[in-house]
Amino acid sequence: MRVEYINPFVEAAFNILKEVVDSDIKRGELYLKSTSQPVLGVAAIVGLAGDVEGRVLFDMSEVTALAIAGQMNGEELSSFDDLAKATITELANMITAQAVTKLHELGFTFDLTPPAIFTGENMEITDAGVEALIVPIELSQGRMEINVAVRER
Amino acid sequence: MKNKQDFPNINERKPEGQKPDGSKYRVLVVDDSMFVTKQISQILTSEGFDVIGTASDGQDGLDKYKEQYPNVDLVTMDITMPRMDGVTALEKIIEFDKDAKVIMISALGKQDLVKKSLLIGAKNYIVKPLDRAKVLERILMSIR
Repeated sequence: MRVEYINPFVEAAFNILKEVVDSDIKRGELYLKSTSQPVLGVAAIVGLAGDVEGRVLFDMSEVTALAIAGQMNGEELSSFDDLAKATITELANMITAQAVTKLHELGFTFDLTPPAIFTGENMEITDAGVEALIVPIELSQGRMEINVAVRER
Repeated sequence: MKNKQDFPNINERKPEGQKPDGSKYRVLVVDDSMFVTKQISQILTSEGFDVIGTASDGQDGLDKYKEQYPNVDLVTMDITMPRMDGVTALEKIIEFDKDAKVIMISALGKQDLVKKSLLIGAKNYIVKPLDRAKVLERILMSIR
């Protein structure tokens, strides 16, 4: 997978998180995985289809998701309820929209699915025939992994 | 010595959500995201606006506009929604009331739809992520 696909997502995540979570953000080392990967507990997934196809996963622990959603709502949230889910969905929407705008400017055209949120323990994700690039992002609320698996059609 | 009158009192500032006659501007918030609805409602309520209703898709928004008419001063309208999208709902609201004041709430990258909305008759638009200053500025520009 070409790294130019993941950079817009990482940049967008940085910009949006800085704006809406106002967190001390650090980017971890990018790594590549071709096998199944564990999912941390709360994952927002967005599908891409067009010139490029695949999916982007925003993955974090439930504690981190709750802390981020709480910060975005300006109040402490005690459980990962509908409001918390809507908040993480909106976060994924904003990051994806900014990344995709950038990719469109670079000449790639494709459509997106609305984000879906997965929650649970001991989940993993497998992408047959596509390797995934993962960029960990460290926030004061915890770690979020941006996990991108796309290929050219 | 300075006395109390020499200092401006911030509490005396008139809330932005009040009309010149002191009554509140009445706003209908149409958005499929519970988070965005809450965010907009909180910003507006804290400035003295009256959020008279919320709707989670375009059809619901259109129905509520007709129900509340003529007691709606402003609508905030998300663009991407299930059942009926925001541009269609805007079109139908303007058909029903050509003086309707509608502000579009857009994700980044939807310039074409924003442009189309402005041509149909939307008064303004706000690109997400939303913040208090941006929301209030655009809304006040539209109602004044």
